[in-house]
Amino acid sequence: MSKNIDLEQEGIEVKKSACYFCHQNCGVLAYVKDGKVLDIEGDPEFPTNQGGLCCRGNIALDHLDHPARINYPLKRVGKRGEGKWEQIPWDQAIQEIGAKLSKIRDDFGAEAVATAGGTQRTDDWARRRFMNQFGSPNGFHNSHLCWIPTFMVETAIYGWCPFELDMGNSRCLVLWGQNPGAAGMPEMHHITDFQAKGMKVIVIDPRFSETAAKADLWLPLRPGSDLALALAWINVIIYDGLFDQEFVANSCEGFGELADHVEEFTPEWAAPLTWLTPEQIRESAYMYAMNKPGNIQWGTSVDQIGKPAGSTMHARAILRAITGNLDVPGADLLTGPSPDFITDEEMEANDQLQDIQKTKQIGSDRFKLVTWPGYSRIAEETRKVWGKAPTAEWMCEAHPPSVFRAILTEKPYPVKALLVNATNPINSYGETKLVMEALQAVDFMITCDYWMTPTASLSDYVLPIAGALERPTITSTYGCSDFLLASQRAIQPMYERRNDYNFWRDLGLAVGQQGQWPWETVEDAYYHRIAPLGYDVSSYDEFVDRYRFHFPEREYSKYERQGFATPSGKVELYSTVLKDLGYPPLPPYIGPTENEVDHPVLAKEFPLVLTTGGGFMPYHHSEHFQIKDLRFLRHEPYMDINPATAAELFIEEGDWVWIETKRGRIKQKANLTEGIHPRVIYTQRGWWYPEREINLPELGGCLESNANILTSSADEDCDPYSGAWANRGLLCRVCKVEASDLKEEN
Amino acid sequence: MARYAMVLDTRRCIGCHSCTVACKVHNELPVDMIYNSVTTIGPTGIYPNLHMVNLPLLCMHCANPPCVDGCPTCASQKREDGVVFIEDKKCVGCLACVMACPYGARVPNHETGAVQKCDFCKDRLEVGKKPHCVNTCHQKARIFGDLDDETSDVYKLVHGENPARLLGELNTEPYVFYIY
Repeated sequence: MSKNIDLEQEGIEVKKSACYFCHQNCGVLAYVKDGKVLDIEGDPEFPTNQGGLCCRGNIALDHLDHPARINYPLKRVGKRGEGKWEQIPWDQAIQEIGAKLSKIRDDFGAEAVATAGGTQRTDDWARRRFMNQFGSPNGFHNSHLCWIPTFMVETAIYGWCPFELDMGNSRCLVLWGQNPGAAGMPEMHHITDFQAKGMKVIVIDPRFSETAAKADLWLPLRPGSDLALALAWINVIIYDGLFDQEFVANSCEGFGELADHVEEFTPEWAAPLTWLTPEQIRESAYMYAMNKPGNIQWGTSVDQIGKPAGSTMHARAILRAITGNLDVPGADLLTGPSPDFITDEEMEANDQLQDIQKTKQIGSDRFKLVTWPGYSRIAEETRKVWGKAPTAEWMCEAHPPSVFRAILTEKPYPVKALLVNATNPINSYGETKLVMEALQAVDFMITCDYWMTPTASLSDYVLPIAGALERPTITSTYGCSDFLLASQRAIQPMYERRNDYNFWRDLGLAVGQQGQWPWETVEDAYYHRIAPLGYDVSSYDEFVDRYRFHFPEREYSKYERQGFATPSGKVELYSTVLKDLGYPPLPPYIGPTENEVDHPVLAKEFPLVLTTGGGFMPYHHSEHFQIKDLRFLRHEPYMDINPATAAELFIEEGDWVWIETKRGRIKQKANLTEGIHPRVIYTQRGWWYPEREINLPELGGCLESNANILTSSADEDCDPYSGAWANRGLLCRVCKVEASDLKEEN
Repeated sequence: MARYAMVLDTRRCIGCHSCTVACKVHNELPVDMIYNSVTTIGPTGIYPNLHMVNLPLLCMHCANPPCVDGCPTCASQKREDGVVFIEDKKCVGCLACVMACPYGARVPNHETGAVQKCDFCKDRLEVGKKPHCVNTCHQKARIFGDLDDETSDVYKLVHGENPARLLGELNTEPYVFYIY
């Protein structure tokens, strides 16, 4: 890409494409000539990014034809992980994979085939459609760590997740464990605008993050202690009379029980647990409750705190309800699913999975909220009111750590094949040692990816996937919003790359799913989805060219007309759905997954508190370490440590240090900063080194600085509701890496 | 004739480095060259009473540019519209301008031997576009325009927000302004 490209030249077509390097999907204009993208820029007319592009968005052309991209289907010819591949035609790959999967189904049952995904940057309704017809309930993503448990708890309480923030009319925004200043640029821009107009911003984060630095009030709580804070806020709001009496009286069930339940949870009780002062807790509760209308923005943090996660989500959901900050102007809005376009769930063919197969979903016996038991219960309620159900792919999945354990133990039954699509589980799933063993043990593994990742390297087949600019995109908040944003591909996939949709479709046809995939291309499928909207267009591309967005007219206070999608039709502060599933109907206090109060012996050995998993520029999850125009910004992994703590441990700026939990240790470089509590350590996530040998045993150095070596996915550390595992609020220790350690490693 | 200026609103800047990358990619700079870095100052103070400021840096397009005065071959020039630029083919790589610039805005290109720097994307200005760093900034922390145009955002900010100029005491008269 050069400043010398003449974009006014004849023959250039401007395509309305989307960035695909995180799931914000910022609008991108691509200048295309003769099937080549000459330049890109942020689309100034796109409502979210308004022309802006972050670091990642700017490297789209580097990514598109990077020399390390996988461009052809590869079949393993050496040993697993040895790095010997044969290039084969797609059709051969699909036929061989289809035959192998069919054989596994015959020998072990369809449930012996599982699939792992990453974040929502794939057409995962197609993955689900394939799996449902194949007969396996064992699809999963890292979704447990990212919004999905929150979505389901909130839907249990008030019938949908109020993810649509009416911030333009808001007076107070709570960013609860979210750092849009490094992980959600389009959102940060709006927050900054509204803050300039008077909206208060409260940031709850152990780190003095990019966003915390701009906050009106920063609450640096102990990692994982969010529940104590939420319960104390409820206590203040109820016992100081700050709640919305009218909304509570007319629209909520269980307020009396709630008031009794939180009586003991005073700010004085929460202070030592959260490491905040009672005054900080009281002041922040007042700020949220008294500046109405207000918002609580979801952030991944609570999804990642493990054991107390579900209860924390419940408590946080209650805060919105008792302050009346629900579905009214300026508050958090319950859009419900779109009544107008065909949703992801309606594309998934969930009715084709037999009930007997649903009962076999791994983890559904213990973690019921985001597996078939909880999903069926909640979907039953949403169907009554909204006429539709949440997306099942994401909201109803096998429990990933349990699948990895099933591969190793054959309990509850053998899992023989893993289809990895758009994820690098070695770096992105909890407890890397477990994942690594499972990936090496599974009989048959396919990876669909852009790159030869450490996971891809262990696979039997690696398939080349189309990326940003090579694929159309519908953005609709995991298929759960009533609006959609549509983007087109700038060019057809280069080399022999294909869309993930075509992978699932082709594979479906190879295993006997004839007649079930009427849409040859993604655009055909998308056109089918938007057709009921009634726009005068004859193709998906034409919709993008002429309309691009569908935003229905906003209707506030829909509950007055239709009630809430819960058994009682009201907000269930005391949740009968959670109770039916065997969970507490009111949020009990549960300490951080590992903490000094409940685990004093462990805390002696590991005296510091770890938080990890947070996003940082310019990377996304475990991606983009190959891109030189990004890597120069952060060449190596860094952990944050307070200078006082570092001094005690003789650690200086830039030293390599070991960070260790009882599960293992990694090394990152020390960043000495006052922006973190002296007892807290923050490590960067995702790190591996694509510049190294990607084959065994080096495997791209994927174990060296990988924060998931430290995290825990043991059943007892997982959220009992959803099975979400623990990245934050764990106990750790750090020490300087000595030269002798390095010798020992070699 | 326009008088180009840029205002950097540090209240809005979050230090994401998008401007740095956009500039680097669009100007096809080698990996060791940057025209516009962002320096994060802080967090300063003692936990938890902290402050942090992000300071984007670039060529200041000074009204009295010492780099132009210091260039022995007249490669460094200032246009009437205020854009300070380097005429590549006249640059002999003597680095006099690098030493003369008090802002460290000039970087030698080790591949070509010439010195390079931000030129406000002057090729884009000709076709009515703004610099890449301005377009790419999600936060709208970089505001660019004509300081002679009283209706422009830069005019309003420079005359309404009392912005600072870096190293004002040197009398270089930067046309890059900072709002704190």
